[in-house]
Amino acid sequence: MKGIWIRVLLVFLLVSGLGLMPLLIGSAAGAGGNLKAGFIYVGPIGDYGWSHAHNAARLIVEETFPWLETVYVESVPEAEVGTYIDRLIQQEKVDVVFTTSFGFMDGTLAAAQRYPEKIFAHCSGFKRAPNMATYMADFYQVYYLNGLMAGALTKSGKVGYVGAFPIPEVKRHINAFTIGVREVNPTAEVHVRWIFEWYNPAAAKEAAEALIKDGADVFAFTEDSPTVVQVAAQNGLPSFGHYSPMFDFAPDYVVSGQIVHWEKFYLDFLAKVYAGMYNTTNLQDVDYWGLLREGAVEAGAKPGMLINPKFEGALKDKKVRICIGIHLPDSTCIGVWIEISVYELVMLRLEQMKDFEMVFDPFTGPIYDRKGNLVIQPGARATYDELLTMEWAVEGVVGPWPGEP
Amino acid sequence: MRLFTIEKRPSPSGGLVLLTSVLAILAALVVAGIFFWAWGASPLHAYRLILQGALGSKLGLAETVRRAIPLLLCGVGLTLAFRALFWNIGAEGQLLLGAVAATWVALFSGLEGPWLIPAMLALGFLAGAIWALIPALLKARLGINDVITTLMMNYIAMYLVLYLIHGPWKGPQMRGFAYTDFFPKAAWLPLVPGTRIHWLTLILGVLAALGAYILLTKTKRGFEIRVIGENPEAARFAGMSYTRTILLVMALSGGLAGLAGVGEVAGVHHILRQPEQISLGYGYTAIIVAWLAQRNPLAVILTALLLGALMAGGDVIKASLGLPFQLVNMFNGLILAFLISAELLMRYKVSFRPRRKGWAGRPG
Repeated sequence: MKGIWIRVLLVFLLVSGLGLMPLLIGSAAGAGGNLKAGFIYVGPIGDYGWSHAHNAARLIVEETFPWLETVYVESVPEAEVGTYIDRLIQQEKVDVVFTTSFGFMDGTLAAAQRYPEKIFAHCSGFKRAPNMATYMADFYQVYYLNGLMAGALTKSGKVGYVGAFPIPEVKRHINAFTIGVREVNPTAEVHVRWIFEWYNPAAAKEAAEALIKDGADVFAFTEDSPTVVQVAAQNGLPSFGHYSPMFDFAPDYVVSGQIVHWEKFYLDFLAKVYAGMYNTTNLQDVDYWGLLREGAVEAGAKPGMLINPKFEGALKDKKVRICIGIHLPDSTCIGVWIEISVYELVMLRLEQMKDFEMVFDPFTGPIYDRKGNLVIQPGARATYDELLTMEWAVEGVVGPWPGEP
Repeated sequence: MRLFTIEKRPSPSGGLVLLTSVLAILAALVVAGIFFWAWGASPLHAYRLILQGALGSKLGLAETVRRAIPLLLCGVGLTLAFRALFWNIGAEGQLLLGAVAATWVALFSGLEGPWLIPAMLALGFLAGAIWALIPALLKARLGINDVITTLMMNYIAMYLVLYLIHGPWKGPQMRGFAYTDFFPKAAWLPLVPGTRIHWLTLILGVLAALGAYILLTKTKRGFEIRVIGENPEAARFAGMSYTRTILLVMALSGGLAGLAGVGEVAGVHHILRQPEQISLGYGYTAIIVAWLAQRNPLAVILTALLLGALMAGGDVIKASLGLPFQLVNMFNGLILAFLISAELLMRYKVSFRPRRKGWAGRPG
């Protein structure tokens, strides 16, 4: 039994001896007058989803700003964010820390209080401090545009949706998507399956296959891998990419999708920090909320390709009658009816949402949830808080909906 | 004609243990170094940062100790179960049950103030113990395979946590995200100032190691545990109760894992969140901790620290070197694989023909 003691003691001696050695060799970091930013990701950067997109933006800002140096940490467990912030600040000497998951919120806030002389920005949360801002890019408008296309393309009247978690963000996306689907195809249904993980290709595959068995013939999803696109393509069915450009995974089947441009935020924020406009005292009310208008998100199969040319014909052939104005539930229109193709409708809505005044928003009342309650009053728009806390399911959503009011 | 023979070595000497362990670690470093080098990082630079990050700074040392706490509590319990040859692979689930019980006390029991933490610890122990007693009873009464049942109970525990945070326990303050609300401050374990070490659970872990050592070596019950583990037939002839012993070790094993769960939610998270975020595989890593300690509860104190250091060192690979996180797992895995493989060389000796004395220079 004494063997184990010697063995462990030895490991510790070896390790602590070598541990002191570096003091002689010196530190690796050395930024002079420049800015150093640390990025903390919740997932692996190879996920081709959320973390991948943040990392792609990091590379763009590092390339753009000669005075900027960046470091990143991937696959950080939620409760460990404080430890990694300590490491980034104490050992890597970063000036600005970005944390990119809701679960990092309180760890980031605690660190902001621990290091009042450093700047923090937390993605997707709602707690701020004088030295901690928040930011988010949201896809609901893009999902609505994708929904318009999906409604035109489905033949079975069933659209499949693989969701990660039944949380307001994903529910908001499914609702906006369904509103789009029903606008061009009033009897179509969106069938939802949850996988309860952000990144689980095996579960996503299973969910997509189950939806195919249920008769779904067009697919959208919120999950951090291209699995749903691949499964749909193997079955010859069209789908919409999520988060990163997924055109290349199935060039014949990816209709459009949601693409994020986090660099819009990082470029703006870091430039303002560098210029001294943002400092450790004035971030209490800095909350970036990026939509189509801000260029933070884009609809497309890949950047610059709003609609895959293979599907343009089908979208131009499908005509819809829409109400420009307020569309009341009894099908009367305060305004004018026009008949246009879905292709034109997508272009129209995109321009309306990109407009500085944002003259259109998918969450404009009257909107009923699937239990028949009026959730957005006629003519009203969902407020920022209503969007962020959305729990209801809109008419047309089929499937389990945990937390449904 | 055989070129060499393999013989069992009755009791490995200190010098031999020293030699094989050094060689094992060096060999692991060399192999891991190839991967670091292939990724464009100088292996020596990497090792320097890793060691400094795990043990060469106050931050690193504190992180090493904090990671060691759940490993210590789970690992001590596992040594007891393993001594009785009960293969408890379920420390992960038992830990989660402790976390669930502590969350209930903190948020829903109505208790307040100084009673909260003692109640969380007591109920956490109880919940882990009950979770562990289920497979213990299944094995003792029906002979159902313990590896399978304890492992599967982990998944049930994971889904229980998921159900709670997505369902009845979802916190109104969390804007629909799947977390409970935060525990009241009175339910937060105190920390060593300037670190994230929740010292109360650390002390409990050390006491558990001492207690388990005394139980195993100084008491009649401990004697029974060892006999049942080494020779169940003999134990039965001697009139020792298999069921009673198995229930005892599993209640302790599960209870200690439950305490680890209390420590994680009350000392680190202050919230119930997704199961794989609550336990970073501590229940599974503790199996290696117990095994490296050669099932000696006192040695678990050191092996838990060793594994804690490896986990803290892994942080550095990600934070300072910017290497893929998979390299962390590979690095840790290589060191453990080499150390455990080296055991074979301690227990057996290889003699080349013509036969001569042991190659460590001692009489075979």
